[in-house]
Amino acid sequence: MITRLATLGRFGTFSAQVMWRTVTPYWEVDATATHLWALWWRCLLPVLATTTPLGMVMALQGLQIFDLYGAQRLLSPLVSVATFRELSPVLASVLVAAQGGSSFAAELGAMKISEELDATEVMAIDPIRVHVVPRFLAILIACPLLNLAGSLGGIFGGFVSAVVLKGETAGIYWANLWQMTRVSDLFGGFVKTLAFGAIIGLVACWFGTEAKGGAPGVGRAVNDTVVYACTAFIVVNYFLTSALFGAIG
Amino acid sequence: MSAITRFLARVGAFGLFVAAFARATVTHRPPVERTFEEAYRIGVQSLPILIIVNIFVGTNLAVQGNNAFEQLGGQSMVGTFVALAGVREMAPIMVASMVAAKAGTEMASQIAVMRIQEQIDALEVMAINPLWFLVTPRLLGILLVLPGLTMISVALMLASAWFVAIVQLGLNGSDFLAQCAEITHGADLVYGAIKAFVFAIIICLVSCFFGYTSPKGPAGVGRATNAAVVVSAVVCAILNYLMSELLYG
Repeated sequence: MITRLATLGRFGTFSAQVMWRTVTPYWEVDATATHLWALWWRCLLPVLATTTPLGMVMALQGLQIFDLYGAQRLLSPLVSVATFRELSPVLASVLVAAQGGSSFAAELGAMKISEELDATEVMAIDPIRVHVVPRFLAILIACPLLNLAGSLGGIFGGFVSAVVLKGETAGIYWANLWQMTRVSDLFGGFVKTLAFGAIIGLVACWFGTEAKGGAPGVGRAVNDTVVYACTAFIVVNYFLTSALFGAIG
Repeated sequence: MSAITRFLARVGAFGLFVAAFARATVTHRPPVERTFEEAYRIGVQSLPILIIVNIFVGTNLAVQGNNAFEQLGGQSMVGTFVALAGVREMAPIMVASMVAAKAGTEMASQIAVMRIQEQIDALEVMAINPLWFLVTPRLLGILLVLPGLTMISVALMLASAWFVAIVQLGLNGSDFLAQCAEITHGADLVYGAIKAFVFAIIICLVSCFFGYTSPKGPAGVGRATNAAVVVSAVVCAILNYLMSELLYG
């Protein structure tokens, strides 16, 4: 129990250090851009390959409800609202954690156990500034961008399922698409993914720099990153949903 | 080699891996004791995060459902929405992705470590079939526990959605339950279990394959673990659509 609290405290200190270095100069712009570019291409396909089938599923199941009420024209608003508010932010972030976060944890973990991070420090270069902050920033920026790509994938998936496979009218799908979606939904998705990106970035870099015990340690770091990041942002998601779109607001 | 050739080569290697595994499983006696050990480990390890994640997914479904249908004046559809989305889609896919993140990455990293430390070669030298020794108990174990975990998740998701519907959204609890009961049938639970079985097979075989063919060194273990969780999540999402189409379409 005490050890857990101590670990939590050290994670807090680490997060504060990363945040502080993120907002103060000097920034490793090149390294951030390189990581961002790699992360974008590494995650794009998995994100699209997950959100598109889920958009299709949503259209499939949604049609069953709306067929009961003869209200098929409500399908595309439902798909777009659900995708922008909920489905794409969560799924894109799960995939960013699984693909991007865990690969950063693996890289940092390998650097840690081969003592590259210590070597950086010995050379009087701040390892957090050169190794951690660019990765954190890359995830922070990539998460909302990938969410946007994922949202488009989900809407496209809904289109394929409803129009191409189930024979609904294409015009009705596109015409009603934006009926219920508001700018605040896009903004809500943006805020959510920014928060999720921060969680993933911090958790991934934390487990990466804390890796110890050779190759098994790197495996554990990757494992812990995915599990803790996903659990944390699914919990945070509920509170953000309530605050952004919820019964209160 | 181009990326496509490499991809196809990996798919072919996976096919050969599955064939060798199937052969090893049917030609040896079943590893009963190790199966129960694995089942216990996978079940007990995954349960806490599944409880947390599913409770919050349930609460979120209720809030979002309330929001989406408020504009249509259809507060009476919240229960329908939660039951349909939760029982049929969200529970199986959330369980699959969390088990892939927790148990799948652990399988991948354990087996990858054994591969790079040449323990798998040592097993072969001792005339023990490594596929039978390592993969068979994991597959049987995850098959034993995943349907059960899915059922627990369904129950928790509905319970937390019901709680939020009453406490946060101020809906009528018995109406909510009546709507749930109206739209779900016993068959939905059976279908959920079928989905869980398929996801279990995918997660286990994909994770073990990436661990088994891990590249050298600590960085290799990280990459194998990383690839395992991403590929199993993506394949599960795609198969989820196909199964929904078959079962409910």
